[in-house]
Amino acid sequence: MTAVVETEGLTKFYGTRRGLEDLTLEIRPGEVFGYLGPNGAGKTTTIRLLLDVIRPTSGRATVLGADTRDPRVRARIGYLPGELALEGRERARDYLQFLADVRGGVSRGKIDALAERLDADLSARMGELSKGNKQKVGLIQAFMHEPELLILDEPTSGLDPLVQQEFLAMVREVRTSGRTILMSSHVLAEVEHVADRVGIVRAGRLVAVEDIAALRERAVRHVELHFDAPVPAESFQGLPGVRDVVVQGASLRCTIDGRPDALIKAAARYTVVHMVSAEPDLEEIFLTYYSEEEARHAHAGA
Amino acid sequence: MPTLVRKSLREYRRALVGWTIGLCAFLAMYISFYGGMRDNTETLSAQAIAKYPGAFRDLLGGLSDLASGRGYLQAVVYQLLGPLLFTMCAAILGNRAVAVPEESKTLELTLTLPIGRRRLLLERWAALALGLLGVALVTLLFAAGAASAAHMDVPFGDILAAHTGLFLLVLFFGTLTLCVGAALGRKQVALAVVGVWGVAGYIVETMGRNLDAIAWLRWISPVHYYLDGRPLYQGWPYGDYLVLLGATAVLLLTALPAFERRDVGV
Repeated sequence: MTAVVETEGLTKFYGTRRGLEDLTLEIRPGEVFGYLGPNGAGKTTTIRLLLDVIRPTSGRATVLGADTRDPRVRARIGYLPGELALEGRERARDYLQFLADVRGGVSRGKIDALAERLDADLSARMGELSKGNKQKVGLIQAFMHEPELLILDEPTSGLDPLVQQEFLAMVREVRTSGRTILMSSHVLAEVEHVADRVGIVRAGRLVAVEDIAALRERAVRHVELHFDAPVPAESFQGLPGVRDVVVQGASLRCTIDGRPDALIKAAARYTVVHMVSAEPDLEEIFLTYYSEEEARHAHAGA
Repeated sequence: MPTLVRKSLREYRRALVGWTIGLCAFLAMYISFYGGMRDNTETLSAQAIAKYPGAFRDLLGGLSDLASGRGYLQAVVYQLLGPLLFTMCAAILGNRAVAVPEESKTLELTLTLPIGRRRLLLERWAALALGLLGVALVTLLFAAGAASAAHMDVPFGDILAAHTGLFLLVLFFGTLTLCVGAALGRKQVALAVVGVWGVAGYIVETMGRNLDAIAWLRWISPVHYYLDGRPLYQGWPYGDYLVLLGATAVLLLTALPAFERRDVGV
């Protein structure tokens, strides 16, 4: 299986300002890849390089096996720009039809079906669409020709929660059909439920690429246990991966890094009446990457 | 017709209709004055004109025989106001090919369609050329009709020759706007280039023709190739028109690789 997106040492400088440096990345067929980083980290630069809107300073990139310079490959990509601008008196439906025609047509009824799913009004003039409706039109044009690769830059911005759910369902359907998605976001929560892997980019550099599953395994988890009688605090000291233990009478609160195995085994000696485990907070790991990277940079600079 | 040409023409439609109406109104108004002024020797006679300063007369193309249909049509329509208005129309439309959508960020999605940059620019240019041709055709018929209604006695063939020059001149300036926009992505710069080259070119061609120090500059003035052949009097100046057409082609051929190579929207 060849990679859907492959970059090697991809670098972009805007004059002397670094947009992206030395990005080597591979996105596999059929995966949802979350591309994460704060605003200005280089996410949009990467995406615009892949779509040949801007040209790399050095390095190379292929998309769907073709050089990014080949315009034909773009018929097989669905793209939602991060700063989607739709203007003018043209009606949304006519604009979508134009895009469909240039890309070689879309199957009958596809545009209407998507509009219905996302509850978008296509009879409105584009200049009069609200931000949320523009984003819907942007999503429709990205999905409508059933492209092999979807590149979505901040796709959920401006969407209300209900539409966000529908969008995530559409993403899952694309994955089920074996197609590939690259979506960027500045918050992990937006992608963690659909992404298979995430890449974390910061200050123009790819800091980490992780499986969501592995990330979840390493995630920080807050756990609360309630027993039928007071327990000795010593029983829970020094357990691997367990920290911040607070025992108060018959209840215990702690934080676990990664697997809860040691804690469960220690607790099994007593009678557990109630257990609360918060969802793993991937955001915390995410932030850990940032602070580690920052520390490394600070160190290197010293 | 290629999809993008059709789509671009649809985008230009309102502007094209608006400018056509505006130009026709201008033609109707100014040509209709002729009927009233023709017999009024006090305003249009050679003696009356001679009272104006020489430089002023030069600037308006000499004003040598304002009382004749040809002279009036040349001075009032084809000398300055007609090209000025029509060039503004061309520059505004030319900017809408690349620079305006790039600055408003609507170009990004168009660029990511499976269309190469060269084809994109060529189809945008084709839409511009077709749009300007449409305006030129309607205004030509209107000018000829109005001239005949005002009893100007200018044969259609001569008006056609002059109007063709007008079209080629504005096609050049429209293409210039499009090309600067394509190469730099800045609409104000494109308008500035057209404004400076157009106005300086006009002044050099009219007032500068008798000043040896700047007379040579006429060769790089597009206006020179439009005015110098006096098509309303002498028929088709083929050589001059070919220069305008050739210059337009050169501009376009320069803009294609420039647009091809550039980062868009940064």
